[in-house]
Amino acid sequence: MSQVLSGAEPFLYRGESGVGVLLIHGWTSSPQEMRDLGKHLAGQGHTVLGLRLPGHATRPADLNRLRWRDWLAAVEDGYHLLENASEKVVAMGLSLGGALALILATSLPVAGVVAMATPYELPTQPRLRWLRHLLFPMRPLGNLLRFVPKPTVNDYKDPQAHRDHLGYEVFPLRSVPEVGGLLELLRQQLPRMRAPLLLLHAVEDRGVSPGHARSIYARVGSTEKELVWIEDSGHVLTVEPSRRRVYDLAAEFVDRELERAP
Amino acid sequence: MRVLVDRGEPFFYPGGDIGCLLIHGFSGAPEEMRWMGKYLAEHGFTVLGVRLFAHATQVTDMNRARWEDWLANAEDGYHMLRGLASQVVVIGMSMGGALTLLLAREFEPAGILVMATPIRIPDNRVERIRPLLPLISKVMPTIRLPGGSDWADKEAEKLQLHYHEIAVRSAAELHDLLGEMRRSLGRVVAPALLIYAKGDLGTPPNAAHFILEQLGSSDKHILWLENGGHNIARDAGREQAFEAAAGFIHRITA
Repeated sequence: MSQVLSGAEPFLYRGESGVGVLLIHGWTSSPQEMRDLGKHLAGQGHTVLGLRLPGHATRPADLNRLRWRDWLAAVEDGYHLLENASEKVVAMGLSLGGALALILATSLPVAGVVAMATPYELPTQPRLRWLRHLLFPMRPLGNLLRFVPKPTVNDYKDPQAHRDHLGYEVFPLRSVPEVGGLLELLRQQLPRMRAPLLLLHAVEDRGVSPGHARSIYARVGSTEKELVWIEDSGHVLTVEPSRRRVYDLAAEFVDRELERAP
Repeated sequence: MRVLVDRGEPFFYPGGDIGCLLIHGFSGAPEEMRWMGKYLAEHGFTVLGVRLFAHATQVTDMNRARWEDWLANAEDGYHMLRGLASQVVVIGMSMGGALTLLLAREFEPAGILVMATPIRIPDNRVERIRPLLPLISKVMPTIRLPGGSDWADKEAEKLQLHYHEIAVRSAAELHDLLGEMRRSLGRVVAPALLIYAKGDLGTPPNAAHFILEQLGSSDKHILWLENGGHNIARDAGREQAFEAAAGFIHRITA
């Protein structure tokens, strides 16, 4: 029996363009949500690595053991793997993956970042607000109560995309303050970021509200930055009806990177 | 902020249509497989050297690791290579060899190379106190182990990237992983090459014999190195090991 959930494995495509693209999925999710974007970018001739964050695509209980530094280590791994084989590395992430891509760009020479549906802080919607009040006792509480059912933030426009999505059905409770800690690091580090940035956010995102994108845009240090609103989509931009537009915007961003002098 | 130590990162050398997955050992880092990786890349293979969870960061991270995490890392590497290469050979040293064997139980690598892999932890006190290790690690998270060096190449020894202490909780994971490995050997059928060093002070020869004998593979051989100690991919016998590896890979993928 394999450890990694079938269909949720990481992927690596090799291209000749000289650009390596690191794709980072979201919290409780898996590389599966980045795979079609990955195929599109590979089709454009780029080397693409869709990594699997530790604790993900295995068992929900695994996430309770993980700390945010483990996720940082994994994206550093991804950067180095691509850097061996590329002249430039572009980092792209969805949701928590976007936060990781942004933080990576403040520690290593990432050529550009595409951050999709990325949160700026916890919590992200009214039903989850109670989590913030529990944040202080969260750690001991997380030892007693391992999971809470995933709040039904179903903002999918495409019900099939929702059904197909591979991820945990529960929130591993102890992992929530880790997301909180990572986002705190993000807010600290954003002013230090210099790489070109493209922010993509769904107007109707009910998991991470549009205000988060505006906050990131305002706080980031990069002078070259753009925020594009996506219509007809929920939180998981990469699998929703407007995904082709998302893929095109991401590919164009990489093209601009290619044209830039090294 | 960076979490990986210097030189602690994994490596990827794109090459031809045959992939080599390299898996390092307990408390080590991808660095210990890097010279072998470069050698194989120079011989035209596509090479991926993974970093196992909690390795090459800080030793206390190891206390949060479970052997299933390490096996998942090995699976990740295998899946990534399978996207690029029509055949994948899995190569592991020490605990990396145990992960190689477990990977071969579930998937179908073209072949496996197992180097210096023990069948149990040398200190058999660990066996007796295994149930207590999680508790002990709460009061004593790490322990420094005494022990001599079996390195022949002292310059290579200085370049070693290894935790200086053992994370107590993780010793339990290594113990459990080796048990799982021993039980799985009969189900492994991939062509196999084992490489062990006569000068390996930590791994008794019966480990090599046990694995060789129990392996389900019909195509299985063992090579004993005269030079060097446990760290086969870095110590004095490494060139011989690299050549044997390349020869083995060419033969089974021909």
